[in-house]
Amino acid sequence: MALYTRTNAWDGGGTFEQNATLLWYAKGVGVMMSRMLSDPSSWWFFAAIHGEYVSMGRFPGWVSIPPPPSVEATPTPVVQVWQQYWDQCQHQSWYFLPWHRGYLIALEAQIRSAVIDLGGPQTWALPYWDYFGAGPVQYTIPPAFSQRRLPDDSANPLYVALRYGPDGDGNVFIPTATGIAQHPNDPNFVYGVVTQSSMSNDLFTGSNARTLPPGFGGPATGYSHGGGTSGNLESNPHNLVHSYVGGSGGGRSGLMSDPGTAALDPIFYLHHANIDRMWASWNLANANPSESAWRNGPAAIGQHNFVMPLPSGQPWVYTPADMNSLSLLNYAYDSLPAPPSVAPAATMMADRLTRLGALAAAARVKEGAPVAADTKMELMGASATALPITGAGATTTVTLDPGVRDKMAASLAAPSEAAPPDRVLLNLENVRGTHDAAVLSVFINLPEGAYPADHPELLAGSVALFGLRSASLADGSHAGQGLNFVLDITDIVDRLHLEKALDTDTLTVRIVPHRPIPDQAEITIGRISVYRQGA
Amino acid sequence: MMTNEARELAMVRAPVLLVSAAAWIVLLIEPAGTLVLTHCAAMSGGTMPLALHTSASLAAGWLLMIVAMMSPVLIEPVRQIQRRSFTHRRARAIALFAIGYAAIWMVVGGLLLTIALGLAMASFTPEPYVAAAVVACLAAVWQCSPVKQRCLNRCHAPVVLAAFGTAADIDALRYGMTHGRWCAGSCWALMLLPLLVPTPPFWSHIAAMAMASVLIASERLEQPAPPRWRVRGAGRAIRIVIAQTRIRLTSGPTRSSHALE
Repeated sequence: MALYTRTNAWDGGGTFEQNATLLWYAKGVGVMMSRMLSDPSSWWFFAAIHGEYVSMGRFPGWVSIPPPPSVEATPTPVVQVWQQYWDQCQHQSWYFLPWHRGYLIALEAQIRSAVIDLGGPQTWALPYWDYFGAGPVQYTIPPAFSQRRLPDDSANPLYVALRYGPDGDGNVFIPTATGIAQHPNDPNFVYGVVTQSSMSNDLFTGSNARTLPPGFGGPATGYSHGGGTSGNLESNPHNLVHSYVGGSGGGRSGLMSDPGTAALDPIFYLHHANIDRMWASWNLANANPSESAWRNGPAAIGQHNFVMPLPSGQPWVYTPADMNSLSLLNYAYDSLPAPPSVAPAATMMADRLTRLGALAAAARVKEGAPVAADTKMELMGASATALPITGAGATTTVTLDPGVRDKMAASLAAPSEAAPPDRVLLNLENVRGTHDAAVLSVFINLPEGAYPADHPELLAGSVALFGLRSASLADGSHAGQGLNFVLDITDIVDRLHLEKALDTDTLTVRIVPHRPIPDQAEITIGRISVYRQGA
Repeated sequence: MMTNEARELAMVRAPVLLVSAAAWIVLLIEPAGTLVLTHCAAMSGGTMPLALHTSASLAAGWLLMIVAMMSPVLIEPVRQIQRRSFTHRRARAIALFAIGYAAIWMVVGGLLLTIALGLAMASFTPEPYVAAAVVACLAAVWQCSPVKQRCLNRCHAPVVLAAFGTAADIDALRYGMTHGRWCAGSCWALMLLPLLVPTPPFWSHIAAMAMASVLIASERLEQPAPPRWRVRGAGRAIRIVIAQTRIRLTSGPTRSSHALE
């Protein structure tokens, strides 16, 4: 039996009156907020461990963040201390999940210590916000986060001014399928739907029939403080939830939508507890990487270690391997559903072969014939110039190389288990800018004048630009490479093939933001490319 | 299991390292081809004219140095080109990148050789100890400077490559030149130093080149960082060796002694 059990924040209606865990969280956060930035046990120091804009003057510089909370931007700790602890968050990396697990445990230890000092439970643990939870309300933020006062009429430390939500009006909810259904008169262009589809992946890093690159947990990288390609769970729901909860309004982005401010918002840790819970669920059926490069973390290749301050003031150094098992860490979740049961890869391939008309091959695959696995990637087409994303979005043309297109088309025309049909991926390369709150939906060959939400069959996918600003800094840790996104357009291409519309030299790609992009956002997609993955 | 990404990286890494190794072997077995200015200086009492080395042999020697020392740091940009080009254009794009990159270094090489020779002649001794010392100080200052960091950061900068036609060729060439520019900005002082290392013995020149190479490769492994004054060296390479040794000795990850509770 684990010592610490994380529970659903919506227990007791998500209110202080009926959910003591939330009330103790608020009090613990209040204690941490009362400490100075230079104190490793302070709320501000912990937020800076994730990422910070402490020395920046203009918003999102911490000094310019309007209260509540009254963010401390001074005094900074001595240089050795901030170099040891700050700006560690791992994103667009296979270290994303293990680093954040350690981060949650460390924050929890600080809050628990404060809770115990206040006479609270010795085994206090973070609640999680399960926005996919059953019922008509769990997709909305628990009410305890939206009220300004605690039951004793003191200020509520969980309340944050800069939390705009997906519609920019302060109504914070997650556009899951349920959430969108509850908002029939959507004022936006189109929502990028927050889903659990990555839970059907069965590979942590890499790609296979059930797993889109770069894998459930993220690409193999070194120390990665932002920039590159998010893992599938990180991309959706993690990044989308960040961008939607933070949102933007009045020329500012919400705290949650930028990694340099996100952990200032107390909802951050409940969101991450849910992501951690999804990882734990996924682990019920799937394994974490066994490579030493993952297990030993970036310190083993001469880079920064993962280190957190404990309540005692001592540093706690951990590796991804240390985060492998929640139970060994003495943690449990009150509910840990098994990942959704999905069709075996062979069934998926048989279905696709059937759809493409290769009935004999489909039958053989169903009977257990092995399917050739070849994951070679080859560029098939690309846009000519960088694409600025402004206002209501942008449209561009991806020109296809006839030779490579024909190779792909041939694989769809006569597929078999020995020569399976290609998979087709669309990449958004080097997306740069300053508007982390943006969520972009990508449509292929959307007819002119069509309303995007009416054509889910043409939707390649939706991505959130959480982390965009820091990934775009020329002197940042990724030299301004920006963010990359991989979307699976195999189904769309299959349909074009079946409609005999694949004999084309171009694909039209339309990028639709969920809300208008502000003029000063300067979002640019370096290149849009299409790859075939196959023999 | 090796991911597709890891496999493709290995496909670039192996030939590039092979080219570098081949250049090092030529440098070792064919010392006459190397650029040891002090040889010239020694033979003529410090006033040997540049004419003893023909400009062609100077250029060839310099190119050999560049290939040996710089190839390893080109693995990542070459990987970028490979990943982002059509299969049938990859070789051509990589060749254009290499031409652009080498062109920058040849121009910079001309300048560095002129400076080296000038310093060697100005020092009025058979062995240019003074010149070497001056350049060593200069290299140390440059090594710690914010400008060096800015150049290093730009060596990791993003590139957008056109996929088709002349635009793709121009982009590949331009990428080589841009990368070469920042690379030269980062490494020029480290490349100047081996030219001035006093010889004989001959191997002191090769040793200086080898040390500069380790430094250049190691600092390229570091992540980009805000430009500021800082000591930069082979820290990452040393940290890798220490961490990997510790892992092998303890046959497991290092654990914190601090309990969580």
